[in-house]
Amino acid sequence: MSEKFELSGEQTHQEGQINQDELILQQQRQIQQEISESTPLVGELESISSLNAEYSSDEVYLQKIKDLASKYKFVRRTRPDGNCFFRGFSYGYIEKLLSNKDEFKTFYTLAENSKSSLVELGFPQFTVEDFYDTFMEVLKRISDMPTLEESKRELHQLFNEQGYSDYMVVYLRLLTSGQLQREKDFYSCFIEGDRTVIDFCHQEVEPMYKESDHIHIMAACSAMNTGVRVVYMDRGNNKQVTEHDLPEGSTPYVHLLYRPGHYDILYPN
Amino acid sequence: MAGSALRRLMAEYKQLTLNPPEGIIAGPINEENFFEWEALITGPEGTCFEGGVFPAKLTFPPDYPLSPPKMQFTCEMFHPNIYADGKVCISILHAPGDDPMGYESSAERWSPVQSVEKILLSVVSMLAEPNDESGANVDAAKMWRENREEFNKIAERIVRRTLGIPT
Repeated sequence: MSEKFELSGEQTHQEGQINQDELILQQQRQIQQEISESTPLVGELESISSLNAEYSSDEVYLQKIKDLASKYKFVRRTRPDGNCFFRGFSYGYIEKLLSNKDEFKTFYTLAENSKSSLVELGFPQFTVEDFYDTFMEVLKRISDMPTLEESKRELHQLFNEQGYSDYMVVYLRLLTSGQLQREKDFYSCFIEGDRTVIDFCHQEVEPMYKESDHIHIMAACSAMNTGVRVVYMDRGNNKQVTEHDLPEGSTPYVHLLYRPGHYDILYPN
Repeated sequence: MAGSALRRLMAEYKQLTLNPPEGIIAGPINEENFFEWEALITGPEGTCFEGGVFPAKLTFPPDYPLSPPKMQFTCEMFHPNIYADGKVCISILHAPGDDPMGYESSAERWSPVQSVEKILLSVVSMLAEPNDESGANVDAAKMWRENREEFNKIAERIVRRTLGIPT
């Protein structure tokens, strides 16, 4: 980022400046697009050992993958575009809800009532509406399927259609932002620097492609009334993966694998 | 994707027509293409741009509102945050991380719950209070800082031109 800053500072020539800015943005967009095209938004189930291929000679990781394989059967990769937590979490959560009709119904009602509570918080109705409508449409379409298998297939298909998938992500971001704002006294102690909770929501939660941290996960879970276990796998010295249940003390419903900068979905044994 | 963008743009157009913010008119140039808008912005009172009516073009991407539109004045402009070709450079037109100007971290950014109205209101504030630290037009930024009298004269000339008054 400092490099970009220097460019616009040093360049005094008007046209030169326009070209530099545009070039940088263009390059960023191109890199993002290349990443996008190489990974599906949400992948198929893969065995835990499929992770080995990414760390062929890295003993630390190979050891941890072994540990992971003793607890989990499958991993489902998500596209690393900064939305991976929101996409992975909502996919994993809805997928699991599908196997319990009562839980699904409870969640459907919670989702149905969520728009009015966002509008009460000050979100302009016309900016929330389309995301809400898409969210409800997806829930309805998958629950209307006659069998569990078909529901899951529909979920997978919709989450891999950019239009639907991204609107699901946006709506979950908005629900998360709403939760942070409703409980801003609690969440303000997790925010570094002098930003307010509202600033944080505008800059780190509501915009697409912004990566998620503990605070996003806690608020998203509270908004959906559930819990997540995040399994950390990094190059740290311990031989085992580290588990964090968020919010603290909750019962994990969805399991996510975290490797620095990225979340994938995990399926327990 | 384009279908959702179109629906949203139609909703925003309706909103702006029913509750137009003071001093701002905006809408599609022709109703066959909702992705190109024209806006007319009145220079804020008590500023050097007072009385001017400034036309601008807004261009929306197919994945709007996930990504922000671009905005470009189509009249002559001289302002620290407007490029020589009329392109507007303010933080709300950029997503966080998309940062050609190194905006302050507290600056308002694009997100899907922002709107055309919010952009236009930000542009009115920008006309009233230029940000001379993120200079899209370095000459204008320098003159704003160092020779306000001269800056005001140029602004006045631009205002008269937008009204078709000989300068």
